[in-house]
Amino acid sequence: MTDLGHTGNIALDEQPDMLACVDIRKAFGGVPVLKGVGLHLVPGTVTALAGENGAGKSTLMKIASGQMKADAGRVLVRGEELTAGSARDAHQRGIAIVPQELASILDTTVYENIFVGRELRGRFGLVDRRRMAREAREMLAEFGVDIDPKARMGSLPVGLRQIVEIVKATSTGARVLLLDEPTSAIAEREVARLIESMRMLRDRGVAILFTTHKMEEIRAIADRVVVLRDGGLVADEPLSELSDDDIVTAMIGRELEDLFPDLRPASDDIALSVRGLEYTPAPQPVDLQVRRGEIVGLAGLVGAGRTELIEALFGVRSSTAGEITVGGSRVRRGRPADAITAGMALVPEDRKGAGAVLSMDILANATLPRMGQFSVAGWLKGRSRVDAVSEVMSSVRLRSRGLGQLMETLSGGNQQKVVLARWLTGEVKVLLLDEPTRGVDIGARSEIYRIITDLAASGMAVVMASSDMPEILALSHRALVLKDGGVVAELDRASLQQPDVQDRIFRLASGLDISDMPSSTTPSGTAPSAKDDQ
Amino acid sequence: MTDTRTAAQTFVPESEVKRFSPTWFGDLAIRYAMVIVMVLIIAFFLYRSARFGTVDNLQTILVAAAPFALIALGQTLVILTGGIDLSVGSVIAAAAVFGSLTAKAFPDQIWLAIVAGVVVGFIAGAINGFVVSVIKVPPFIATLGMLTLASGVAYVAGNGAPITGLPADFSRIANAQFGGLTLPVILMIVGILGLAIVMRRTTWGMRVYAIGGNPVAAGIAGINVGRTIFSVYAISGMLAGISGVMLASRVTLGAPNLGVGYELDAIAAVVIGGASLLGGRGSIWGTALGLLLIQTLNNGLDILTVPAYWQKVIKGVLIVAAVAVDVWATRRRSR
Repeated sequence: MTDLGHTGNIALDEQPDMLACVDIRKAFGGVPVLKGVGLHLVPGTVTALAGENGAGKSTLMKIASGQMKADAGRVLVRGEELTAGSARDAHQRGIAIVPQELASILDTTVYENIFVGRELRGRFGLVDRRRMAREAREMLAEFGVDIDPKARMGSLPVGLRQIVEIVKATSTGARVLLLDEPTSAIAEREVARLIESMRMLRDRGVAILFTTHKMEEIRAIADRVVVLRDGGLVADEPLSELSDDDIVTAMIGRELEDLFPDLRPASDDIALSVRGLEYTPAPQPVDLQVRRGEIVGLAGLVGAGRTELIEALFGVRSSTAGEITVGGSRVRRGRPADAITAGMALVPEDRKGAGAVLSMDILANATLPRMGQFSVAGWLKGRSRVDAVSEVMSSVRLRSRGLGQLMETLSGGNQQKVVLARWLTGEVKVLLLDEPTRGVDIGARSEIYRIITDLAASGMAVVMASSDMPEILALSHRALVLKDGGVVAELDRASLQQPDVQDRIFRLASGLDISDMPSSTTPSGTAPSAKDDQ
Repeated sequence: MTDTRTAAQTFVPESEVKRFSPTWFGDLAIRYAMVIVMVLIIAFFLYRSARFGTVDNLQTILVAAAPFALIALGQTLVILTGGIDLSVGSVIAAAAVFGSLTAKAFPDQIWLAIVAGVVVGFIAGAINGFVVSVIKVPPFIATLGMLTLASGVAYVAGNGAPITGLPADFSRIANAQFGGLTLPVILMIVGILGLAIVMRRTTWGMRVYAIGGNPVAAGIAGINVGRTIFSVYAISGMLAGISGVMLASRVTLGAPNLGVGYELDAIAAVVIGGASLLGGRGSIWGTALGLLLIQTLNNGLDILTVPAYWQKVIKGVLIVAAVAVDVWATRRRSR
């Protein structure tokens, strides 16, 4: 090697990363979300950004793509610093992001979505629709997707919309593609197609970063794994050097059994009894009995009908036939107010959209579902209302500046505590929970688990829908698997303790044959729960 | 276990801003921006005009504000639910015409004129409420339709001409004084105080805020969303009805063009008072302040003989500036 060659090598070694984040820090309202995180993306590699809810994954992506400004730290693209907080600059430098909530324009066509903002023009500067449709078809074909570019975007399933978004993002020559929770809302066979598309882009030299908390996906596609926990970087290694256990431990930061409290046995009294409940989209009437002190988990893929079942029970969703009884007395269907009077309580999935009124304070939010109890002839009580609410809020160890604090200024975990605890100012016989820990930081999560098991132990019947498998496995006395709106299987506590149960639930939920399943051996990719049971 | 504890401790409670620090003053200035602007405007007019500060002039301001106040209060309720009521100006006209007709028909029982105005207002408001809450027509469209409809009804009822030759008692409704204040001014003060208490202390007030803040969450909390929405439009209509009779009485004329365009001034008062057109944010006090700000400005500019067209320009700028400050303050807070 000559000296020249040597310097050449150094130059090669020091070739800047496609995208580098250096010591990124960000806090919201005093709560640190990222505590000095670094990230390097290399052309032609797929990096998995793993971590629990609230670990800071989405925030890091938003900063890397210029949608959000970091409090400190730099983002470098090919060695040049990105203008902080400028999505436009990031776009021009070839960074594309496909957010978790797709920003598609549903009422327009696929090709219009692909070409929005850079429409092709023909003669007289008029838009050339024919050419756009043709080019869109070619681009989609490269991704192995055969859809009519003139189809309305809203008519496509979410998985296909996502592919269209990826086509749109990369057709402008993006060299870095950021995918935020790309698999969270799509069906299993669509995941396979997504992974195909990601491989193709990788082979073209695109640097890809995607967030996930699912082991299967990391194993399927990632070259490198970066794990965030509570805003800090806890692992950054090539995939080959990490075992499943390493990744899970890095993500959760402790053994799983510490996260979940012990389940106490349920009583024999029936608290909630549902017979022949008919509602859309349930294909056949639903029967369900839940005993006092029992936690029934509802598992299934996104769109399996878990939320719909819970909504029909509570009366937010109208049902056409059936009988719901709580503690032996019948409840009028389709009336949330009657469900509340009968002793039912609902903590909905979408806290911001359905659970809390963010513009009101804690006290008002806690008063809303029990206004009758807190008022005399329409006039709100003062002292006794404040006392009752502060009691339940301290029982869940809510961290706030006082009951007058606005909901929108609380963290996700504390909002969830309010939305849950506000029911406890009155008697609750049946507690319906929909995704109780979505968007909740890990510290608050274990507290919410403790609250749920405590409430069950106090005699409540709990129905809990969750897409977090460990949550279902560790917290349920019994689990129902839903698919296409109906209940397809029921698993008792003993079955939930089996090492292969996660795979089994997954197969039931996606309609795969469970007979050809390799029994007794633990398939890779199901480590989180399996470990718990061994 | 140790991990659980450290994880829990990483939550840093939001620190309170230190008292008397520059940020603290800044926050305070933003929160009370409208009060500060109001004080500055009053100080300016006091400095420029000797007449502005007299008791007589204060009464003039209050009398001018009263008919707007009633509809602005109703409008506040509607806007808090995330709706809008464009029909109040025309409802004023319809109530004025029907009130005048009733006064003419029953000159001995002048109170019937007030009842007629309230009933006309209630019917218009109830139709708005029904169309919005049951048929689910967007409020903008529903009340835009009522704006035209009520105006048409006012002209039809009076055969296109103002109702004249009203009994003398009729004009006493709005002009008689009690303790130096006229009935419309008293109604305005009672309305502001009463509604401010109702919004803060009753379950109904809480429902209105909850529905505007998040209708889905309100439904899950067992609130009958439709019924509450119906009630705010009905109340808005009734207040417009009362306002219509008062206006007709003040000018002793049942004119079908009374109140035309008042809805925009009412909306302006609510918005200047810090309410969000998306619902859930705003207050009766804010509206009262916005109302007085507009009326003070009208009055002061009149006294300084600023041409009417320039007054419009100034008012227009003020409306947008008020909302701009509000948007900016909200963004600053959420950061």
